[in-house]
Amino acid sequence: MKKLNETQLQELEQDLDAIRDDVLADLGERDAQYIRRMVRLHRTLEIGGRVLMPFGFIPPVFVAATASLGVAKILENMEIGHNVMHGQYDWMNDPNLHSQTYEWDTVCSGDSWRRTHNYEHHTYTNIIGKDRDYGYAVLRLSDDEKWKPWHALQFINYVLLTVLFQWGVGLHELETEKLHRREIRWRDKLPFLKEFARKGGRQAFKDYVFFPLLTLPVAPIVLAGNISANLIRNLWSSTVIFCGHFTQDAETFTEEECEGESKGHWYLRQLSGSSNFTGGRWLHILSGHLSYQIEHHVFPDLPAHRYPEISERVQAVCRKHGIHYNTGSFFKQYGTVLKRIGQYSLPDRMRLRLERANAPQAI
Amino acid sequence: MLSSNTRTKALHWLGKQLSNQNNPASWLDPLLSEINPMLVQAYTPARVQQVIRETEDTKTFVLKPAGRWQGFEAGQHVNICTDVEGVRRTRTFSLSSSPRLWKAQGEITLTIKRLPGGLVTNWMHDHLETGDVIGLGEAFGDFLIPEPARPVLYIAGGSGITPVLSQLETMAARDYNAPVTLLYFVRTENDVIAGEKLRALAARYPALTLTIIATHETPDPRFLTGSDLDGIPGLKGRQVYLCGPKGLMDLANNLLSERGIREDQIHSTFFAPPAPARLEGDTGGNVTFTNSDVQVSSEGDANLLEIAEAAGLTPQYGCRMGICHQCSCRKTSGTVINRLTGEVSGPGEENVQLCISVPQGPVSVDV
Repeated sequence: MKKLNETQLQELEQDLDAIRDDVLADLGERDAQYIRRMVRLHRTLEIGGRVLMPFGFIPPVFVAATASLGVAKILENMEIGHNVMHGQYDWMNDPNLHSQTYEWDTVCSGDSWRRTHNYEHHTYTNIIGKDRDYGYAVLRLSDDEKWKPWHALQFINYVLLTVLFQWGVGLHELETEKLHRREIRWRDKLPFLKEFARKGGRQAFKDYVFFPLLTLPVAPIVLAGNISANLIRNLWSSTVIFCGHFTQDAETFTEEECEGESKGHWYLRQLSGSSNFTGGRWLHILSGHLSYQIEHHVFPDLPAHRYPEISERVQAVCRKHGIHYNTGSFFKQYGTVLKRIGQYSLPDRMRLRLERANAPQAI
Repeated sequence: MLSSNTRTKALHWLGKQLSNQNNPASWLDPLLSEINPMLVQAYTPARVQQVIRETEDTKTFVLKPAGRWQGFEAGQHVNICTDVEGVRRTRTFSLSSSPRLWKAQGEITLTIKRLPGGLVTNWMHDHLETGDVIGLGEAFGDFLIPEPARPVLYIAGGSGITPVLSQLETMAARDYNAPVTLLYFVRTENDVIAGEKLRALAARYPALTLTIIATHETPDPRFLTGSDLDGIPGLKGRQVYLCGPKGLMDLANNLLSERGIREDQIHSTFFAPPAPARLEGDTGGNVTFTNSDVQVSSEGDANLLEIAEAAGLTPQYGCRMGICHQCSCRKTSGTVINRLTGEVSGPGEENVQLCISVPQGPVSVDV
C-alpha cells in the first residue's frame, strides 16, 4: 500500500470528506425519484416474469420470462437491496426503504447481511483474517494465507460458489472455518442457523414450491424458469462482487498495519483495496453501481447512482496523493480475477517461478 | 370455513413470504402511486378536494380520505405524511371539520397556518393543490366534547381554534344542551380564522357565547385577564378546553387555578411551533429508550449508542464511526446533533445513527 504520513492522511480525509459533504448537501428529490424508478422497474419485471413463466412451454416466452425474473432479482439485490441496506436512502424516511428493516429477495437474511457485509466487510476491508469476504474462506487469493494442497483444486470451489452464490452468502455467517478450527461451537451458531432456515426456506418455498404449484399443469417449466432466474442472478452478482476486491491490483492488509487506524488510513485502505470496471449505463445499474466499487467503499452510504458523478473527483484525489485508482474494462478486470484464483491455487514456489518467467525482460 | 380474521392473517403471511416486506400490501405501491395515488396501501391516501384561503397565512384543505379510513371524533387530530424534496415528513394537525361532514360526504378539513420556517406547513401552502394526494393516519387524541353535556369554556389562540371549530359545529348540530363560551385570541382582526363561520354558529346556536379578542391592535398588547374569566357565568362548574400558543396556555392555567378550577376540569392540546434549535453549547439530556422501557440522563457529548450501552442495553452496532448504519434506528422525539457534521436534527420522528447522535435535551428512541 502507498505509505502516507499522518499529515497526508489527514489531508486525504479532508479531501474525501469534502466530496461527501457536497453530495449530502445536494440529496433530495432527484435521488428519491431515481430509487423509486428502480423499484417500479423491479416490480414491473418481476410481475412480467411471473406472469409469463407459465407460458414458458413456448421457448421464446421461456427465455423472456426467465430473463425478466432474473434481471428483476439482479436489480432488487444489487441496485435496491444492497444499497438500501447500506443506509443510502435512510434520509428519505420511507419505512419501505429503511436500512435496518429492509429484507431482500435472496437467501441471506437482511440482518445477517448487515452484520457480515455492512459491518465486517466494510470496516475491515481486505484485512486478511478479519475481512471474511476475502476469498469467502473457500478461496486462497493472496500469499498472506499459507498454501495447502486442497488449494490446487480451488477453481472447483470457485465454480460451486458462483453457481450457488445466494446459498453461499446465506451461510457466510456460519463461519465454517472457525467451526473447523474449533474456535466456536455449533451450539453458538444455533440462532443463526434458525434464521438461515427461516429465510432460506422462505426463498425456496416461493420460487421452488409456491409458484410452480400455483401453475400445476406447467409446474416443471415454472420450476426450471425460477431456478434459471436465480442462477442468472447468482452468476452475475458473484462476478460483480469478485471484480470489486479480487482483481490483480487490489491490495490486502495485515491486522497490525490497521490497528488503531485513523479515518484517513481507513480511506486509504478502501481506495487501494477496491477495484472498478467500466461500461455503459445499464452495466452500472445492473451491478448496483458496484462497478464503482472504489467510490462505494469510500462512501458506502451515499446513494450509489451518485458514484459516476463523483468518480472524476475521487480520481483527482487519488492522483494528488499518488494512490493507484484501479479500473479497467469489465472483461479485463474479470480476467485478472480468474488469473488470481488460478495463480494462488499453486504453491508459492511454483507461482513465483511462473510469474518470473512471464515478467517482461528488463532492458 | 375460515374466519375472515384467519384468512387475513394467512394472506398477510403469504404476502410476507412472497414480497419479503413487513407490509406486503405496500409492495405494489410504487407502481400503484403512478396509476392512481389513491390506491396506495402504505398509508391511507386522501385527495385534496378544495383549498380555501382563511387569512393571509392560513388555509383550509378539504380532504377526501380513501374508504378504509376509520373516522374521528370532534377535537381529535391526525398525522399526515407527505414527501417534501424526497423526504417523507409526518406532522400532526387537528381536524377542523365536524364528523358529520365526514359521515355525510366523506370529507374532512385541516386548517393550517403557515409557520415561519416550517418545512411542511410552507410546503402545503405553496404546493398542495386540488387533486393532489397526501397520506393520512388514523385519528387520535382525547380532546373530546364532554359526555353527558356540561357547561364548557374554550380558550383558543390563533390556529388553536381548529379543534374547537370541529367541536362547536358538532355541538350546534346536535343542540348540545349546556352553556358554551369561546374566548378566541388573535393577533389582529385580520388573523381571525373562520370568523364568518364562528359568527354564523353563534347566531344559530344560542347556547354559544362568542368573544373574539385581538391582542395586538393596540400599542399595549391585550392578553387574557382575570376579568375575562370573571365575567363568565358558572365558571367553576365548567369544563375548560385550552388550545393555543404556550404563553396563552400558561397564563390561562394560572388564572384558572387562582379561581379554583381543578386540574381535572382542564383539557389542553399544544399548538406551539417548535422552539428554534440551539447550535453548539448545551448537549446531553434525558434519553428514553422506548422499546426497552429505560430512561437515563446523559451529560456532555456522549452519543446515544454509548448512553444506551451505559444503561445496560445492547442495541445493534457496527463501526461506531458513522459508516455502516448498523445502529440506525428510529428517533420518535427530541433533538440530536450529528457528531460528524454538527448538524442539528428536527424535533420529530426520523431515523438516526445512534453512534454519531448526541442528544440536545430530552430524546426518545426506539431501542
